[in-house]
Amino acid sequence: MAEIDSPLGSNYIAGEHGNVAAGIGVSLAERRNLSIIQVTAWPNTIPTVLTAIGSATGLIIDNKPGLGRVAGEKSVFGFAPGRFLVTAASADLETRLRSAISADLGTIVPLTHGRCVIRIAGPASEWVLSKLFALDFSEHAFAVGHGRATLHHDIHALIQRVDQDAFDLYIFRTFARSFWTILGHAAEEVGYRVG
Amino acid sequence: MIIKCPYCGPRDVIEFVYQGDASRTRPEPASTDQAEWNRYVYDRANPSGSHREYWLHSGGCRQHLLVVRDMSSHAISSVSFARENTSSGDRR
Amino acid sequence: MTSSRLNTGGRIERSRTIRFIFDGKAYTGHPGDTLASALLANGVTLFGRSFKYHRPRGVFAAGSEEPNALVTLIDGEVREPNVRATEAEIHDGLVAESQNRFPSLEHDLMAVNQLAGPLFSAGFYYKTFMGPAIGPLRGTRFWMFCEKFIRRAAGLGRAGMAADPDRYERMNAYCDVLVVGTGPAGLIAAETAAATGARVIIAEERPVAGGSLVSSGELIDGRNPAVWAREKAELLAGLPNVRFLTRTTVWGHYDGNVLAAIEHVADFKPNRTEGQPRQRHWVIRTGKTILATGAFERPIVFPGNDRPGVMLADAVRRFAMEYGVAAGSNIALFTNNDSAYDVARTLSQAGVGIGTIIDVRTDISGTCRDIADVAGAELLLGHAVTATHAGKTLSSITVQHFNAQTGRVSGAPREIKTDCLGVSGGWSPAIHLASQAGGKPEWDEDLQAFLAPEAHQNWVVAGSAAGYMDTISVLSDAATKGSAKHRAALPTVDAPMFDASPAPVYQIEPDGKTQKAFVDLQHDVTADDIRLAYREGFHSVEHLKRYTTLGMATDQGKTSNVPGLAIMADARQIPITAAGTTRFRPPFTPVSLGALAGERYGDLRPHRLTPIHDWHLSAGATMYDAGLWHRPMIYGSPGETIEQAYIREARTVRDSVGIVDVSTLGKIDIQGPDAAEFLDRVYTNMFSTLPIGKARYGLMLREDGIVFDDGTTWRLGQDQFLMTTTTANAGPVMQHLEYYLDCIWPDLRVHLTSVTDVWAGAAIAGPKSRAVLESCVTASKVDDATLPFMGIVHARIGDIPVMICRLSFSGELAYEVYCGAGFGTAMWEALISAGTPFGIVPYGLEALGTLRIEKGHVTGAEIDGRTTAHDLHLDWMLSKKKPFIGSAMLGREGLQDNNRLSLVGLISLDNQPINGGSHIVADATPREPADSFGHVTAACYSPALGKYVALALVKHGSSMIGRRAYASDLLRDKHGPVEIVSHHMFDREGSRMHG
Ligand SMILES: [Zn+2]
Repeated sequence: MAEIDSPLGSNYIAGEHGNVAAGIGVSLAERRNLSIIQVTAWPNTIPTVLTAIGSATGLIIDNKPGLGRVAGEKSVFGFAPGRFLVTAASADLETRLRSAISADLGTIVPLTHGRCVIRIAGPASEWVLSKLFALDFSEHAFAVGHGRATLHHDIHALIQRVDQDAFDLYIFRTFARSFWTILGHAAEEVGYRVG
Repeated sequence: MIIKCPYCGPRDVIEFVYQGDASRTRPEPASTDQAEWNRYVYDRANPSGSHREYWLHSGGCRQHLLVVRDMSSHAISSVSFARENTSSGDRR
Repeated sequence: MTSSRLNTGGRIERSRTIRFIFDGKAYTGHPGDTLASALLANGVTLFGRSFKYHRPRGVFAAGSEEPNALVTLIDGEVREPNVRATEAEIHDGLVAESQNRFPSLEHDLMAVNQLAGPLFSAGFYYKTFMGPAIGPLRGTRFWMFCEKFIRRAAGLGRAGMAADPDRYERMNAYCDVLVVGTGPAGLIAAETAAATGARVIIAEERPVAGGSLVSSGELIDGRNPAVWAREKAELLAGLPNVRFLTRTTVWGHYDGNVLAAIEHVADFKPNRTEGQPRQRHWVIRTGKTILATGAFERPIVFPGNDRPGVMLADAVRRFAMEYGVAAGSNIALFTNNDSAYDVARTLSQAGVGIGTIIDVRTDISGTCRDIADVAGAELLLGHAVTATHAGKTLSSITVQHFNAQTGRVSGAPREIKTDCLGVSGGWSPAIHLASQAGGKPEWDEDLQAFLAPEAHQNWVVAGSAAGYMDTISVLSDAATKGSAKHRAALPTVDAPMFDASPAPVYQIEPDGKTQKAFVDLQHDVTADDIRLAYREGFHSVEHLKRYTTLGMATDQGKTSNVPGLAIMADARQIPITAAGTTRFRPPFTPVSLGALAGERYGDLRPHRLTPIHDWHLSAGATMYDAGLWHRPMIYGSPGETIEQAYIREARTVRDSVGIVDVSTLGKIDIQGPDAAEFLDRVYTNMFSTLPIGKARYGLMLREDGIVFDDGTTWRLGQDQFLMTTTTANAGPVMQHLEYYLDCIWPDLRVHLTSVTDVWAGAAIAGPKSRAVLESCVTASKVDDATLPFMGIVHARIGDIPVMICRLSFSGELAYEVYCGAGFGTAMWEALISAGTPFGIVPYGLEALGTLRIEKGHVTGAEIDGRTTAHDLHLDWMLSKKKPFIGSAMLGREGLQDNNRLSLVGLISLDNQPINGGSHIVADATPREPADSFGHVTAACYSPALGKYVALALVKHGSSMIGRRAYASDLLRDKHGPVEIVSHHMFDREGSRMHG
């Protein structure tokens, strides 16, 4: 099987960048080889679909806006009513979800090829992300595991907090290289490491 | 301006797209009453005061919201999902 | 000139020296100095020339309200004009220039404007340059003649032409309580709010906290108030729930408790660390705002009041206490209220002598008398300043008896020597941010000032911004405003008691001819201008403002609004409260455009790249911006022109085979049991009848019957479709569909997902396209039986899963091949190598356009928001079996009118290119204006026809076929004969694509 190309191309330059004299504020990395599947329940099937996602992935969440959960490479979060993003490193994620979720429960759209996942981690993560997104990134407003749908100007993004100081950004593939450049630019002030 | 999306929480107005007057009712699809269609497509009240309107949360959950907003002060008195508020008469 | 540095005092770091340049001359100062304080310390009192009259001007205030001392900061090629010298912090190597003088500040030729005084009075521009040209010296043409002279003579600083190399950033912030200002009120309010555990942001426009405390000379908790403030600020800044921003001006107050602020991150630094922005634009969403913005002192208006050396009394104090600078060697004060005595008290403590205190009042408190006594100042009660004398800077003033009740000046003039006159006309609470998010400010008779209006959002004013003018009541007010629950322990204050109420004296107006008395120093608006506006009928404050430009300069009249209104009220013989005031607007102080643009600047506009982008670049494609997308325009060979390249590419498609990247087409995944029903409602034609594994061309209308978009939609399953839209309309179509599902038909069970980015697409077109696919596609046949026109197969190219649909935009036998975007380049390369034996060429947007123009296929140029299906000859797509969006209004008379523009082809008869946008006219010779009966929507050279051709929308389109007309583009000097033909210019029967 062919490997999925990174949309970041030659703009992905491993190493240290920006004002690193004062330390590394954030590290930036592209998460590769993930399966990214969108699951959408019908209005009356949301709890059932969440149970099905739980049985397919082991990640169980409640039906509340933006709730989510992370376990290692696997994650799930809601970003719209009845709509969830499920991510795992295993190639059979789509098959498992399809067998757990029939057409009368909801619909499945594989977005693996359509999203670039960027992980930003480090003490200055909230600071750098606050430059680009009008979201309250403080932990009491945006808890670990939770997801948000938002945008930076024309660039839509789904954001999941995966740890106290780490976030996964799901960016539309065709915007990813531009976004990566903008993100690096925003991180220069605090110093950043790629890779 | 900030709109409190019932799913996403309070968000800046730049995340939303104005989708028009929510107080009008679409005629029966098969209706040929041109006056009725004309009212639906073109006539707007533009009140100074409370106004029901649709906003698409395009930069967030992509749901259409029914927003009640004061057109002179921009004060928003209620926000709900459009799907849950469309009366059956509108469903055409 | 005798301003100078005191031996002690101020918060400057005297052990370090900073070197800077002003108007080409080198000076020194200390860290902590502003440009104003450092220049005053060097004895410089002339800072600039005034806006209209080029009068010499000095420093008037000590902070953000400064109207006079505007300078341009220069960094290489970059010029930042209109910076207040009272706010610009100096650093080593700073270069500043004075403004609005020619050729130099000392010798200004334009100062002759002063002689032409009446010429530049209120309404001068309206009277002289507006309206019809009557005589040579009136009207718009006269303006066009005079403009360049006037622009040179009048104005503020000059912007540079060089691009700003600095970086600016936006920062989004959230808090429970925002405290604006860190004077005594701000500090106590912030402390109280923070103690409740709330998230607090504190914004201070100056480099250090303390506000009025820094120069008050009072004792707080028995200690130096500046030290008390600094320690309080450090304590607050150390709290985990507090963000303390200095050098941060909150300048805008917007709906929903959103406030905008500019943080000067590095303006004041000679060197910046990598990635550090010069300024940061904070957008702060807060639960509640405490506006502890203090108060601005305002002047009394009197003849000659703009002379360098005349300044606000409190500014004299601030220069002494904050910067250790005596603004003069022989200082006089002129006042209508007690605060000048507090200034006298502090100055004499600091060792700055006061010669004379002139007070319009006859009756003052014992405290004030004692202060004058201790300071050794001569006290002239019931007096006023009626003139000033000097060359470029103040040398003496004239005082006369003044009756504050009648406003009459009387008695013999007496000349008093002074080189610095501190003026106090009372205090105006700084209600700018309150006014931006509130009702009408309310006049307070006691303070003779406007107080904050009724709040329209969740904010309160605290301290002197709320009208509390002594430190004790400021602190106790702020403590209650900080939190309703938590009460802070208030510090003790050791300060004399004063009366905050000034005598209602705004202007000193001696009889007879006097010197000019300025109200708005920055815009050179005089008291006479305001009276002239009154006589000419501009009575309301809004008219007054616009007619005289009072308060419309970059300082927004911080020191001039109230005196100006008072003078108008006096002229109208009404109370000030009846005259009203204008509403304050953002920004509080000027904001650089760079800060507003933030990171979205220059090359940082986002680009959308297709999955095959890098291949296009390596193949030498010339890229073209189509919205945010970057798309290949041509793949030029060396030496080829654009026209030669697209002609070669288009010809190769017709002759053999070509390949084009169509990944940019909008793609929407539509799933659910009602998906087919939904498509029947949104498309004009039927989709519920479409078999699985087939695609259909669909047309969408708007509700008003006008064409909205077109594209093919593929049925991938019983309940699953893949809709394609035009590249430009991908977003709008998605919104359109979502609107109908959410708002009109919420009972339909349909899910929509944008999958534009999920798929890479390549269209392979030309008579040899099938042969190319046959040589590389596995897991499915692609012959006519397996893959007929509009058929879809799932197959593989190498190990890449692909979907192939046989459809054609070029009119040739053609296929669109889709795969996962991450495999896009691999699929593309596989198709290129499979096509090489057949002579495949990649083709760009120009050739794509050429092929579709030849075939008369429409795109956004024809679907322009005005055309109907009938206009575009697409009536055949309008189903009569069902209603659809737009069907009801389609039959309207106006949309059926024979006069409508409809789609035709054009063939150039002079073998010259036809310009896009040309008008279609009947005249053989260019004429202006000509009756246009249509326009060109797209044009190219057609290799298939061997002619220059175009598509056009033309009145009576079809009946015009065969006629001759002219394509006229006079802007680009083109006017050529064309023949109107059918829009199907090539292969009308479509035999090629069905081949
Ligand atoms: Zn939302």
